[in-house]
This record gives sequence, C-alpha cells and structure tokens, in this order.
Amino acid sequence: MIEFKDVNKTYPNGVTALKDINLTIDQGEFVAIIGLSGAGKSTLIRCINRMHEINEGTLMVNGVDVGKLKGKQVRSFRRKIGMIFQSFNLVTRTSVINNVLISTVPDLAWWRKLLGLFPKEKKIDALEALDKVGILDKAYNRVDQLSGGQQQRVALARTIAQHPDIILADEPVASLDPVTAKVVMDDFKKINKETNMSILINIHHVELALEYADRVIGIRQGEIVYDGKSEEVSQDVLNQIYGSVENIPKADDPEEADI
Amino acid sequence: MNETFYDKIFKPKTYTLSNGKEVTKRASRTPLILLIVLIVTVISWEVTNVDLSVIRTRGNQFIVILLDMFPPNFNFLDNIWGPLFDTIQMSLLGSIAGAVLAIPFALLSSSNIIRNRVLNGFFKLALSILRTLPTLVSALIATFIFGLGTMAGTVAIFLFTLSYIGKLMYEHIESVDMGAFEAHESMGLSKVEAFRYAIIPDILPTYLSVSLYAFEGNIRYAAILGYVGAGGVGLLLDERLGWRDYQSVGMVLLILMLVVFVIERISEYFRMKLT
Repeated sequence: MIEFKDVNKTYPNGVTALKDINLTIDQGEFVAIIGLSGAGKSTLIRCINRMHEINEGTLMVNGVDVGKLKGKQVRSFRRKIGMIFQSFNLVTRTSVINNVLISTVPDLAWWRKLLGLFPKEKKIDALEALDKVGILDKAYNRVDQLSGGQQQRVALARTIAQHPDIILADEPVASLDPVTAKVVMDDFKKINKETNMSILINIHHVELALEYADRVIGIRQGEIVYDGKSEEVSQDVLNQIYGSVENIPKADDPEEADI
Repeated sequence: MNETFYDKIFKPKTYTLSNGKEVTKRASRTPLILLIVLIVTVISWEVTNVDLSVIRTRGNQFIVILLDMFPPNFNFLDNIWGPLFDTIQMSLLGSIAGAVLAIPFALLSSSNIIRNRVLNGFFKLALSILRTLPTLVSALIATFIFGLGTMAGTVAIFLFTLSYIGKLMYEHIESVDMGAFEAHESMGLSKVEAFRYAIIPDILPTYLSVSLYAFEGNIRYAAILGYVGAGGVGLLLDERLGWRDYQSVGMVLLILMLVVFVIERISEYFRMKLT
C-alpha cells in the first residue's frame, strides 16, 4: 500500500512540484496518472522510490516511512520497487540477458560483481522473465540491435526479474508507435493480473489510460484534481485536468529539464 | 535577442518573409577568433626570438651528427638488450598499474556520479597536478625515494599514465548517457555497482584504446628517463653521447625506432579492432 499524507515538494529553484498530496493506493491496483507536461506526474512517481526527496508530509510504502530511510536502507527498499522509463535506460552495449540479470547484482558475491559472472539459477530466472514478455529468442542479442518496442520489453523483463511489489512506469509508451504501445500495455496488464503487482503509469495517451487502468489520477500544477475510476472520466474531467490551451506551462519548467 | 557589443559592430543579418515576419541571424564569431589566434601567434614569434636564418647557416650541424652515427656500431648491440628490456618492462608495468588505478580515480572525479563537489574537486586537482608534473621531474623525485634504477622509472611512468588515462576517462564518463545508471540506482544498486554495470560497458572500448595509446607513448618516455638515473636505454644514450661515441648512439636509436615502430603497429591494430 502506498500512502501520501499532506506531501509537498518544492524544487531548489522555488518551483512547487507537488502541493498537499493525499493519496492511498492499495496493493494490486493499476493506476494511470495523467496531466500536462510539467504538472508533477514524474515527480509524484519518483518520490515513491526516493529518486526524489519530498519536503513536507509523510509517504508510507508498505508500512515503511520513505523519508526516514538512509543509505543502505534506501537501496534495499528500492529493490522491492521496479521502474520503467520512457527512454528504456538499458545498457545498449551488452546482451539482453545481461540487462535482465542486473536486478540480481546486489545479492552477488564481490568476485562475481567484479568479473560480471552470474549464477545459473539467476540466468534461468532472467530467461523466464524474458519469456513472459515474449522475447526469449532475443536473450543473447545485443540490446542496440533491438527495436524500441523490444527494448521496452527488455526493460519490463528486467523489472519482472526484480520481483517487485510495485512497478512505477514513467511514460513507458511515449516513444513507441501505437501498435507497439498496445503490446507493451498488454504486458503491463498481464503482469498486474497474474502477479498482483501494483502498477502506476504516467501516460500522455488518454485513450490508453482509460482502456487499461482501473483508476485514473489527474494532476494539474502539482495538485490532484481528479481521482476515480477510469470509467467515470468524462470530457468535463479531462478539461479540468488539462485546462485550456492558454494554461499550458512554460517549456522551461524544471521537471522536464531534469529528465 | 539581446544585442551584445559584438552585434553592434558586425550587424546581424535579417531575413524578411513574404508575410512580413523577420528572422535575424547573428554574424559569425569565427573571424574574430581567427584574428585573436593570429595576434597570439605573432606575439609568441616575437617573444621567443625565432630566427629562421639560423636554420640556413647552421642547419648542416644536424646532418653532421646524423652522419656521425653511420654506420651504426653493431658490436654495441650486446650492451643494448639489457637496458632495452628494462625500458619496455618499465613502460609496460607502469602503464598497466596506471591504467588500473585510473578507473577508481576517474570514477571519483566524475561530477555526474559523485555529487560531492569537494570529493571530486580533490581528485580532479590531484590528476591535474600529476599531469603538470613533467615525467622527467617525477622520475627524478622517484630516484630520491627508490634509488637509481628501473623502479624509479616505473613509478614515474605509472604516475603519468594514471593522470593521463584518469583525465580522459572522467571526461568520457561525464559525457555518457546516464539513463542506465539511473535505472540501476532505481533497482537498489549502489553507485559503485551501477557504475560497474551501467558505465563500464559503455566506456570499455575507449578505455582499452586509450590505455594502449598511453602504453605506446610511454615506451618513448621511458627511453629518456635514464637521463635522471631512472634506468633503461636513456642511461646508455646519456653515457655514449658523453663519450661522443655517435656510432653506438646510432645503434641505440635504430633499435629503439624498430621497437617503437613494432609496438605502435601492434597497438594500432588492436585499437582499430576496438572501434
């Protein structure tokens, strides 16, 4: 369970990214977060695994007070949370399976880390994760030989091999074509149904959000302006979230520049 | 567009579209930069008193020494092998040790990985101090510590290699795409682990290539370190030049050229393979 209580976040340059966020997400939910670029979607997601710090309020994830974690605790906490990025963020100069195996690195002996060797059972586990997203045959290809859609599925397999409770996805389909985007969204849905992992997705495609997610959260200028079932999202709600053309934030806002 | 002083002298070019909209393009800065380079060149010419006529009147001296070296003294060959081997050994050992230690130094100097400014400022400073120190000087200092011989030369080459590869690698690391590093950190890997798995695969080809290049350069450096007593063929060169035994000097240089040529060829071959 993820619980935001009166969470505020301000960037060092004074821009308010999150304002009085109160939010509870239960285990196994599939949540889409929508809103304009710079509204605070990325910030919201990145606070959950402490990639960003919050300034005020408390954030509890599965009973852990995220703000109070230190050093090693942060790292072991993050192991239970997977993250998917818009630009895949894979190591492109190595094989697909090596990328998936990265999630097991903290458990390895020091000499294995130095030499880059992985135990057999971890390899089998990684191959099974690749099989779940349907690219088992690419296991020993180099990542830079794959298409965008395939790369995002490698990233998804990497997250599955991590066996997390929660998957955070920051614009996972924004750089994919519409057909591939659907395939990747289907994978998310399947994982959500089969393993009961909570899934939080930042997404610009409203149709995909409504089609796949059970719950939609709308963010506007750092505040939650809508939180409800995806079936209940109407045109009025969308207008409330996205506003009119005049209200589009400036392109030089810090959140976008940060990524 | 803010108008700078430069724009007032060299007017920006304005294009007008058929509907009246205007786009301005600033005048290029290149002529100004070329002018500055030219002025600096002229000044340094004057300051260093370059006198080309010397080449005409005394240039033949260069040929005289070269001619004295012919024919090379082949009987001297037996005296060369030992010091030559020392030279190669010094540069190989110094290069390997320097290249290995350059990795942690580069990691600690990279501002995109170590956010602590004091820490990476310290390591950047250490690398640049090492780099400014001429190898001959560090070899001289090393002879005070380790005594005369190859150990001093190895240390000097080690320090230079460390600073050279360390600098090139941290610059490379700072320009690397940090996406995979961020992803690895989000999975709970420590900075060192994320560096090992996200950055190393990216920089490995460059690292190996730079290390080979450093090694082939080091052979040439190692050849003169003997002048300050740090072992190798430099010792031999110094001694034979002192005796004006130019034919033996010629032999040493000939062998050195051959060795450098062979090593450069091998190194070039592998560097081609890497890129």
